[in-house]
Amino acid sequence: MRRREFAALVWPSLLVMFGLLMVPLYRTAEWSFKDVDYGESGTFVGLDNYQQALTDERFGRAVLFTVGLTVAVTAVLLVAGYLLAVMVNRLARTRPLVLGILLVSYVVPQVVGASMFSWLFDDNFGGMVNYLINSLTGLEIHWFTDPWPNRVMVGLNVVWHMLPFAMLVILAGLQGVPEEIIEAAKIDGASPLMRHVHVIIPSIRGVLGFVAVIGVMDVLRVFDQLIPLSPQAEQIGNESIMLYIFNTAFRDGGQQLGVGSAINILMIVIILLMLSPFIRDMAKEARKS
Amino acid sequence: MRSSQQRRRMVTALCAAAAVVVVAGCGAGSRTGAETAAKVACDFAKPAQAVDVDVLAYNSSAIDPFTNTMIKSCSKNDVTVKHEPIDFGGQVQKTTATLAGETGTYDVVETYGFVIPKYADKSKLRPLDDYFTKFSAEYGLDKINKGMREAMTYKGKLYAIPMQAQMLVMVYRKDVFDGLGLQPPKTFEDMRQAAKKIQDAGTIKYPIALPLKASADIVTAFDATLGSLGKNLTNPDDHTANLDSPESQKALEQLISLKPYLAPQVTTFDQPAVQQQLYNGGAAMAIMFSGRMNDLVQQSNSKFYDKFAFAAPPVVDGGDVRYNALSVDGWSIPQNTQVDPELLFELIAASVSEDASKAAIPAAYPARDGMVTATSSPYAAAAIESVNAAPPAEPYPWTSEISNQITPVIASVFIGNVSVADGTKQMQEIAKKVLADYR
Amino acid sequence: MTATITTPTSPVEVGALRPPRRGPRKLSWSGVLIGACLIIVCWMMLSPVLWTAMAVTKPTDVAFLNPPVFSYTPTFHAFVDLWETTNFYVNLSNTVVIAVISTALALLIGLPAAYALSRFPGWVSVALLIVALVFRALPRFAVVLPMYDISRSLGIYDTKLTMALALVAINQPFSIWLLRNFFAEIPKEVDEAAMLDGCSRIQVLWRIMVPMMRPGIITAGLFIFLFAFQEYLTAAILTDVDARTVPVFITTQLGQTLPMLQQAGAAAIILTLPVIAFAFIAQKHLVKGLNAGSVKG
Repeated sequence: MRRREFAALVWPSLLVMFGLLMVPLYRTAEWSFKDVDYGESGTFVGLDNYQQALTDERFGRAVLFTVGLTVAVTAVLLVAGYLLAVMVNRLARTRPLVLGILLVSYVVPQVVGASMFSWLFDDNFGGMVNYLINSLTGLEIHWFTDPWPNRVMVGLNVVWHMLPFAMLVILAGLQGVPEEIIEAAKIDGASPLMRHVHVIIPSIRGVLGFVAVIGVMDVLRVFDQLIPLSPQAEQIGNESIMLYIFNTAFRDGGQQLGVGSAINILMIVIILLMLSPFIRDMAKEARKS
Repeated sequence: MRSSQQRRRMVTALCAAAAVVVVAGCGAGSRTGAETAAKVACDFAKPAQAVDVDVLAYNSSAIDPFTNTMIKSCSKNDVTVKHEPIDFGGQVQKTTATLAGETGTYDVVETYGFVIPKYADKSKLRPLDDYFTKFSAEYGLDKINKGMREAMTYKGKLYAIPMQAQMLVMVYRKDVFDGLGLQPPKTFEDMRQAAKKIQDAGTIKYPIALPLKASADIVTAFDATLGSLGKNLTNPDDHTANLDSPESQKALEQLISLKPYLAPQVTTFDQPAVQQQLYNGGAAMAIMFSGRMNDLVQQSNSKFYDKFAFAAPPVVDGGDVRYNALSVDGWSIPQNTQVDPELLFELIAASVSEDASKAAIPAAYPARDGMVTATSSPYAAAAIESVNAAPPAEPYPWTSEISNQITPVIASVFIGNVSVADGTKQMQEIAKKVLADYR
Repeated sequence: MTATITTPTSPVEVGALRPPRRGPRKLSWSGVLIGACLIIVCWMMLSPVLWTAMAVTKPTDVAFLNPPVFSYTPTFHAFVDLWETTNFYVNLSNTVVIAVISTALALLIGLPAAYALSRFPGWVSVALLIVALVFRALPRFAVVLPMYDISRSLGIYDTKLTMALALVAINQPFSIWLLRNFFAEIPKEVDEAAMLDGCSRIQVLWRIMVPMMRPGIITAGLFIFLFAFQEYLTAAILTDVDARTVPVFITTQLGQTLPMLQQAGAAAIILTLPVIAFAFIAQKHLVKGLNAGSVKG
């Protein structure tokens, strides 16, 4: 392909990406050094916003909560996704039905799914889960006001939404495992558990890594779910970084826009750092080919 | 296999189609106002070109009649009045956003006495005095209660036309109270004792329901408690705050003292959540704004609809001033609207006209003189008693700013993350900072 | 790990008909156990939707009763009221219109770019793909808040077109990644043969590639549509009244009281039903897309 052809084919997409993503991004960077509100040009304040963000305890809690949630959810996604994929992999006729059912939580808009999810746990909505737990154990769990139960509920919801994706990608990976190596392991007398641990899992390491990367990228940006699920996020330390940005830079007006923008920039830096190994590998591979 | 899959697809597709048909069969696209909407005279001059008027007003059975009247009566002559359903939290956020820029989405916004000074001080709302004089006779505006108009006035100018007043009213379950020989409580101490008795009787675990949402309602509760103890948030003369006063401490302690009788997750409850508790029989008494009371006695909402009785709210600890907050709701015109303000004013005036206000009873307590009597609604007597024993309003531009900023502190104290002493100190600091900007 | 990202895994059709290794010819204990587990998992995954569906078909006075009622005569009045007393249908049509416009534009712009990226050797392509990957991982607010500011000052705030354009941009990195992976499946020899026959690049793309790519385009289109349909954050910031979408509508109703609260639940179900149907019908394509590389927006 000639360079001119390449340019001709690529420019509309580049125009959209640079025009509609780069320009806003530049403005966020600019805002992060300013005391500014929407519709104003603002005054330059140097690194004040960054200092304020980094010394704000609430931001520290948000980072801690977000990172903790990311680690926990990603781990659960890998384990549960794998188990589910192994089970679904054994299905024959019922597979399309089961996959269809499992996909439901993936295709429902997250905020809508989370609203419906919250009603299961909310006494004012009949709280099915509370009702079950209460009739079985007599316990009364405060899902919305106690930090840990709330974290569990939020985590469950994120898993609920992302599990189908993890399961499907792992399922595809399982289907790529050559029959022969499993047979060989069987002949060697490996138990089913051993087969999974020593043969199948190592051979789909790449796929599991992919699920982990996507999991990390998406859970770090968790936002929608918290609107219905954690109405008291700030008080119980369950504010995600994105929710913190929303609360500071939008919900109560834009007086704190500068600080919100600084946090945006900090988050981009964190994400870039996390992605850097992949970017390096991509570049390396490209040089090779 | 192939065919079974196809069949299944057919079935799903048919189910989806059926759902659409069911829904579409119910008169798609028709827009009917609620039955409380009145058809009133709305005689504006036809504008030069067609205009859309966007109205921002949260939904509640007390606000809806006015909104619906405006939509129903004034959507004509090339004017389309548009309103999207929204909850109260949404209205608060959207008001900030729409008033912020050079242009805004909304042309008429629902406001209340509490926020008028803030927005008026920053010239976000239009003064309405000239229009008020001009259209007074036509829409009988002089009959709108003078005190309520004053609640919407800042530095001598009127910034909103009152539609109704809301005051705190106590609702209780008459069957439960009678069964245990209890009287509606007159003080917080009475309330605690009654709650204890109900709790001990074993039917209702958390007898008291209050809206104490940590991001919003809890500050109203604090303000009402402080007011009943005889203190204001601030002293306007010397720009000082009273948030580290003994009364402020006591107010927090009094709120905390109710905790054993409140649902554990009360800090996530707004007024609709409290209503839901009452609908479900989860609480035996509650204190909320009067505009939420009429819902409770609707048979369609709850099987306890005929068990509710109403009383004026208690005092916190003696004195005449009740645990109360008086709020006047009204309509304002944003400074940044592109629509002719005179036209907008006529829409507003029509929606609070005599007929419209009449139609809003019993759900609302209209702002017009001589509308509400003790028999207007099941809660009217309680509302009238309540309105006469409310703490004074604090119509200063810093009131809402201070309130917003101390809300998380109050919540933290109530939850138990911060001690009462530290909390009052923090609140005082916040208030000092805010007040410094107004010197 | 990188292998999955840079070189496209072949889009295996998991949902389709590859026979399992050990068919359930005879009823085994482990088979029964797995069946039971899957039934429980499926039930748990569906329970939020089922519970909401129950709550909105109950009479209003018992809809959210606690402890809940389990036997009742279903009624659809919440749906009727929602339809008659609110502009829900406008929100619904906004959501669909925005999703359709943004899908069409994203494909129109993304196809040539993805094709070029799959064919042009050298560092420029790689650099662009890396930039796209980074864009895809951005915190949304970093672009959406400035978009809010800019669109308000340009007077294009709260329009369906602004919202659709924003989504085209936001989903563009994903679109070109996915499409590029599908293009890479088609051998370069096909292009060369066509060009020998006298086709120009553009002709190769529209006359040869696009027909061959049909399954890939459908898959990508479904995903872009789905993401646009699901989007809450962007819509919450960039829309207000005229362009309000259903996810935003539902979140503005969470603090409502009865009967509107029940109507909000009805709205959630109205939105969910077609999406479920969509999941079943488009299952094969969704599965393919999820496995074609860096998916998930």
